[in-house]
Amino acid sequence: MTMKMKDFAKPGEYGLADLLCCAAAREVRDNEVVFAGTGLPMVAIMLAQKTHAPNLKLIFEAGTLDGRPPQLPTSVGDARCEVGASRASGLYDTFAIAQRGYVDLGFLGGAEVDQYGNVNTTAIGDYLAPELRLTGSGGNPDINSFASRTVFIMVHEKRRFTEQVSYITSPGWRVKKWPEGEMVPRQSHYGSAYRGGPSAVISTAGVFRFDEESGLMYLDTCHPGQTPEGIREQCQFALDISRVQGETPPPTYEELHLIHEELDPEEIFIPKVKLDNPPTPS
Amino acid sequence: MSSRTKRITLQEAAALIGDGSSLTFSGFTIWRRPMALVYELIRRQRRNLHLIEVNGGPHTEFLIGAGCVKIWESCWVGHELYGKYGANLSRKVANREILVEDYSHAEMTFRMAAAAAGMPFAVSQSSLGTDLHNPEYDMLGRAGLRDGSRPHIARSKYQFVDDPFFGSGQQVLVPAPKIDFSVLSVQQVGEEGTVRVQGQYYTDPEVARAARVTIAIAEEIVPEDYLRRNADANTIASLEVDYIVECPWNAHPTGMFGRYDVDGDFLRDFYKQTRSQEGYDAWAGEWVFGIDHYAYLEKLGWPRTMNLRANTALNYSTSVKRGG
Repeated sequence: MTMKMKDFAKPGEYGLADLLCCAAAREVRDNEVVFAGTGLPMVAIMLAQKTHAPNLKLIFEAGTLDGRPPQLPTSVGDARCEVGASRASGLYDTFAIAQRGYVDLGFLGGAEVDQYGNVNTTAIGDYLAPELRLTGSGGNPDINSFASRTVFIMVHEKRRFTEQVSYITSPGWRVKKWPEGEMVPRQSHYGSAYRGGPSAVISTAGVFRFDEESGLMYLDTCHPGQTPEGIREQCQFALDISRVQGETPPPTYEELHLIHEELDPEEIFIPKVKLDNPPTPS
Repeated sequence: MSSRTKRITLQEAAALIGDGSSLTFSGFTIWRRPMALVYELIRRQRRNLHLIEVNGGPHTEFLIGAGCVKIWESCWVGHELYGKYGANLSRKVANREILVEDYSHAEMTFRMAAAAAGMPFAVSQSSLGTDLHNPEYDMLGRAGLRDGSRPHIARSKYQFVDDPFFGSGQQVLVPAPKIDFSVLSVQQVGEEGTVRVQGQYYTDPEVARAARVTIAIAEEIVPEDYLRRNADANTIASLEVDYIVECPWNAHPTGMFGRYDVDGDFLRDFYKQTRSQEGYDAWAGEWVFGIDHYAYLEKLGWPRTMNLRANTALNYSTSVKRGG
């Protein structure tokens, strides 16, 4: 069996983490300033850097500006972050730069997301008597407030895709206006501080985007093996499946090679799929 | 203060930090945390500490599991790749044994910067429309602690104001933290207190300046003259540091740029073992109580520390196993 590096890999030749990583990388445009938190997004951004976005500028939250690490960091505080960077400093710099408006795109995660793209990473259940206290916000709301676009990468489970998250850690397209807490469009609440908001959710089932007018989530593409109806069944709200564009493109052999041979050979964030009969490059 | 009086031992440093102190640390999540001092505070069974941190990490979890912490004011706790959340904090929250006040990461950063500049509050437009600003979720207020009589606690969690200068809309004011002690874990400190941090310095400059008393715990105390030959490479000025301590491997199991990597196995074991209080107590019985820092290092053993040791050209370990 032979393959060309630009060909799409076949089912069984890649894992779910590979698919998510490549879908995330495709959200990056060349020349953008991209803000990275810890985890799979670091691999995705570095993959974009090695493919279609060689001029992207990578910021690691802990204090690295325009990083080009030759070895994958395990977290944004890692000693590996700043190798080859324009500047290594601290959080005051990265958050000031973000608030100042330099950041085009941020990648984030979440335990729960709702139909407006509000995300919870703080506590499951009633905040005052939580079923489970989670990590807390970290930089999630900050990046989501300051960047022009944010992309969330999440595990897809029905309990995680809710009508209304129990605690808004990170603001979506309908947010709470205090002191009353009524839900209002993000654009009107943010006023001149408005730059954008969640542009995609990449779950383990599909890719979701948001309607500009209503602020509601809709299904954009289904991952291979998933159906729109099946995905809607895995949401607690009535997911709009009328705009589905088809299947999420699988990884190419080139992308798989970059992920596993160059970016994450230690399988820190992305495990290798074990193949019985691996394809050989032509 | 002469250099001689700045140099103290780890035990003397721990003795300075009394019950009820407000406290913050250098570092970022699992990097450059003053763990040797944290272990010493646990051995001394400190109580009612008020941690005000830009972000938390294993050190937070160690202190919280031991029952040292009454109030945790921050934005995040976990072990990054090696443990997905702070299980000790979660347990204490469920049992109502700790007060948690949530801010965002940028809010905490800007708050610390305000304290470092002697400003009473910071202003930001982060996190508008989130439950971080839900008035029902002012936990110190709910506990009746915002009556203005407590030196570490502001009269409110945040305030909204409209930009009075340029009319740019709603702004959030967040109070500067009142820090009694900042404890730094760094590579080098001079005899007079000049600190040279290598690698990302996170929020160390702000943290060092924000506190009433700043203690720098270093891998090595070096001649002050050596650091002053390249003053522009230094991170924190001598006059901002009150006490210095020499303590090699003081950040283990967190990592230190140029010196040693994060001990991921140690953190993973801690996370797995300390989901229950019994598990925590057993862990502390093995790694904290009844030993001192040197016995701790001996227990780790030299093969383990050699494996974590950073390559001096790359500043990280090339031998440590990270994934897979």
